[in-house]
Amino acid sequence: MVLTILITCSVLFLFQKIILLVVPGLLALMIYYCLRPLVDRLVLRGVRHEIAVTATVAVVLVITIGIFLRTAPLLLTRAAQLQNTAGHYLSGGQNLLRKTIDVLEEAAPVLKRASLGKQVDLQIKDYTDQFAKRHLGTVVLELLKWLPSLFLVPYLTYFLLMDSTRLKKFLIRSIPNAFFEKSLLLFSRLDDSLRSFFQGLVLLTFLDTICLAAGLFALGVSPAFVLGLAAAILSWIPYLGSAIGCIMVVLVAASDFPDHPSIAYSCLALFLLVRLLDDFVFLPLTIGRKLHIHPLLSVLMFFLGATVAGGTGLVLALPVLGVVSVVGEIVAQVVMDRRLRSRYRAARLLATTRSQPGTPSQPVPNVSLTREA
Amino acid sequence: MNLFSTLANREKVEKLRNLDVFRDLTFKETLEVDELLHERVYEKGEIVFEEGDMGHGIFVVVSGKVRVDPSQELLKSTVLEFGPGEMLGELSLFEEAPRFATVAAVERTVMVALLRAEFSSLLTKNTKIGVKILVRLSSTMSRRVRNLLLGQRITPSL
Repeated sequence: MVLTILITCSVLFLFQKIILLVVPGLLALMIYYCLRPLVDRLVLRGVRHEIAVTATVAVVLVITIGIFLRTAPLLLTRAAQLQNTAGHYLSGGQNLLRKTIDVLEEAAPVLKRASLGKQVDLQIKDYTDQFAKRHLGTVVLELLKWLPSLFLVPYLTYFLLMDSTRLKKFLIRSIPNAFFEKSLLLFSRLDDSLRSFFQGLVLLTFLDTICLAAGLFALGVSPAFVLGLAAAILSWIPYLGSAIGCIMVVLVAASDFPDHPSIAYSCLALFLLVRLLDDFVFLPLTIGRKLHIHPLLSVLMFFLGATVAGGTGLVLALPVLGVVSVVGEIVAQVVMDRRLRSRYRAARLLATTRSQPGTPSQPVPNVSLTREA
Repeated sequence: MNLFSTLANREKVEKLRNLDVFRDLTFKETLEVDELLHERVYEKGEIVFEEGDMGHGIFVVVSGKVRVDPSQELLKSTVLEFGPGEMLGELSLFEEAPRFATVAAVERTVMVALLRAEFSSLLTKNTKIGVKILVRLSSTMSRRVRNLLLGQRITPSL
C-alpha cells in the first residue's frame, strides 16, 4: 500500500509537469471508449475500419462545432459581462449567508454576542471586493491557456480509435514470452474495466444532469440544463467537484431569488438528494464499485496530492490512485508468479547461451526440470 | 510507401494462409485476423506453456518445431512434436481450463497466438471470419479426438 501511495505521488508530480497533455489524454480516452461501440457497430455492418473511424470522428466533430457555433455568441456576451456577473453571484451568495447567519444568531444568542455575522461579513466583503481584481484575469488566462491543448482531444481520439489494436500489439511485443499470455489476459481485463468505467461515467453524468436539471427546472432556477450539466461534469472530481457544483447552483439560486432563500436551501437539498441517488442507485448501476478505496485513504491522498502537485494533485489524486492500484495488482500477479519467473530465467539463460559464439548446440532440456520446486 | 506496405501485407497474408486454421480466409479477412495475432519467437528449449497453466488462447506454429510433454498416460502414446501449421491449446479457446501438457520449442520456433477474449470480440464483430476459423478448429479437433480414440499416433488437442 505504501508503495502504491509513493508511486501515485510520483505520477501526480510528473502529471503536474505535463498537465496540458494529461487532461486531453484522459478526455480522449473517455471519448474513445464511448465512440468505440459505434465504430464496432459500423464495422459489423461491413464498413471498413478506417472509414468507420473517420466517419464517426467527423460526425462528432461536426456536432461539437455546431453546438459551439450556436452557443459562442451567447458565451461571448456573457464573457464580456464576466466581472459584473461574478460580482452579482458572489453578492447573492453573501446575501444568503447573511440571512442564514441572522437566523442562526436569533436561534443561538451566543453567536450574536460573538459578533459572528459582522466578522463573516467583513471577511467576505474583503474577498468579494477584491475577487474580480485578484482572480478573474488569472482564471480567464488559465482558460485561454487550455484551449490549444484541448484541440489535441479529437486528434488523440482519432489516433486511439484507428490504432489502439496496433498500439496494444506493440506494447505486448516488448513483454517476455514467459509473461506474455498472462499479461495479454490482464491487459484485456484492464481494457474491459476502463471501458466499463468510462462508459459508466458518461451514463452517470447523463443521469445526474437529467435529475439536477429536472429539479432545478421545477424550482424555477435557470438555465436548469446548463447548471445541471456543469454540476454533473464537476462531480467527476471526487468530493471536491460535487461541493463546487453545489456552491455554484446555490449561488445562482441565491442571486436570482434574493428574497426567497428557501429556493437556495431547496437547491442544496436537491443536491444532497441527487448525491444519495448517485451513491445508492446510479453508481452501482453504471460504474459499479470496482475500486474499493478506503475513505481515510481518499482523504490522505487529497492532502498528499495537493502537497506534491498542487491543484492537479487534488483533482487527479483518486483517479491516479485507482489506476496505479489496478496496474500494480496486474504487475504483481505477473511478476510474483514463481512458475513464470523461473520460466523467464530459463529463457534468458537459453538466449544468453545462444548469443555466445562457439557454444556447442545444447540438447533440449527436460522442460519439467525448469519448473521451480 | 504504399507499394511496400502492400507487398509486406501480401507476404504476411501468404504466410498466415499457409496455416491450416486460416486457410479459408480471404486476403482482407486474413489482414483483419492478423491485427489480433501476436507473433512470438521461442528459442530452442524455451517453454511455450506448462501443464497446469490456465489456458487463455491458441498457439499456431509458423516455423520451427515444438515438443509436447504430457503427464497423462492417454496422451503419452500420441505424436509428441508439432510442426508448421499445427495448432496448440485450441481447447482453451472455448473454456478457461488448465493446460494438459507442457510444450517447449525443439528448435528456434515462430508462433502466433490468438487470445480467447480477442477471438470472442472477432466473433461478435465479424461472424463470417469467426465461423471460418471455428470450422477449421472443429475439423482439427474432431480429427485429433478420432485418432486418439482409435489409438493412432497423432497430435492431441491440448
